[in-house]
Amino acid sequence: MIAVLGLVVGVIAGLLLEPTVPAGMQPYLPIAVIAALDALFGGLRARLDGIFDDKVFVVSFLSNVVLAALIVFLGDQLGVGTQLSTAVVVVLGIRIFSNAAAIRRHLFKA
Amino acid sequence: MTERGQDRGNGGLAASMSLLTSLLTRPLDPGYEAAARRRETEGAPRRTVGGSALLAVLAVALGVLTVTAAVTLRAPQPAVVQARAVLEEEVRQRSLEVSAAETQLAALDTEIQSLQRAALEASDPQILARLAVDEAVSGATALEGPGVRVTLADAADAGESDVDRRVHDSDLRVVVNGLWAAGAEAVSVNGLRVTGLTAIRSAGQAVLVDLVPLASPYVVEAIGDPDRLETRFAGTPARDHLALLRAAYDITGSVDSVASLLVPAAAAPTLDRAAPLVLEAQEEET
Repeated sequence: MIAVLGLVVGVIAGLLLEPTVPAGMQPYLPIAVIAALDALFGGLRARLDGIFDDKVFVVSFLSNVVLAALIVFLGDQLGVGTQLSTAVVVVLGIRIFSNAAAIRRHLFKA
Repeated sequence: MTERGQDRGNGGLAASMSLLTSLLTRPLDPGYEAAARRRETEGAPRRTVGGSALLAVLAVALGVLTVTAAVTLRAPQPAVVQARAVLEEEVRQRSLEVSAAETQLAALDTEIQSLQRAALEASDPQILARLAVDEAVSGATALEGPGVRVTLADAADAGESDVDRRVHDSDLRVVVNGLWAAGAEAVSVNGLRVTGLTAIRSAGQAVLVDLVPLASPYVVEAIGDPDRLETRFAGTPARDHLALLRAAYDITGSVDSVASLLVPAAAAPTLDRAAPLVLEAQEEET
């Protein structure tokens, strides 16, 4: 529960404080948001499966965001940034979809 | 993950498919299951205060990061907006500079002409007369006289994308050519003198005359004997073209004779390569 509470606090703090993002970080934002969405859906599904774990949630969230940013950074350095971004979006998108489908089955039994 | 894939009886699939298969069948982070199994075997893990605090801090940080990213992405890119404003300002400033320079140019032109006249009047009136004719024909000076005015306007209800019902550069070319053929002595389109160096063309949807974009209505003015111009203009293909435009595309075109027209001077031509023949050589030839 700590993790979820912390996340909520963080979201509210972010909305209130509106920190500015340095220009150098701008390219990583879309991927970071998608990675965060993936972790959120994964956590929600685990919660419905009854196996939610604070530590796993936070660690998977963090590693998702960092790894996604790293892949985009690497891609930019190699000149294949767009393609790698696409790959990340595809993989994470598939995961989000299947997690969302599992959540739907849990909630609506359909 | 491979282990799990085989457990589920997917061993028959090509190895390269295992990633996709596990992605599709078990999208949940395996960490959750591992943690659940650990809890079963070892009981609930005892969490230290430090560990919990770290967890909470990380979670807060992630929340801030995610929402900041989302908010930043939703906001219009300030850099882009700023760059646009800077460019707009620059365009406006440059336009002002251009018009200032044009005014100066016109003033200097008049000065040159009066000085030229003053200098030549006494020494060589013959050259002065020839110069006046040359200037009039080449568009170097503004001219006035009677003539006809042809007005072309887009169809009243023509939209932005309704390309067919708008006046094209080719329509203007036909009209201008028709006027030349009818014996016009000087022609202008929307106040821009048409000379031998003037191109009437289009860029996108805009009609450009001498690289200046114009908008409907297009007013083509030609100096010449109004009656003769009008009669002979009616004999050129331009007349049929105007009739076709009106009938098929609702593009209105009118031809009126005007008692006095003012056709402005053309911008001074920039000749990079063309050079006039040396005067002596010309005289030898003739």
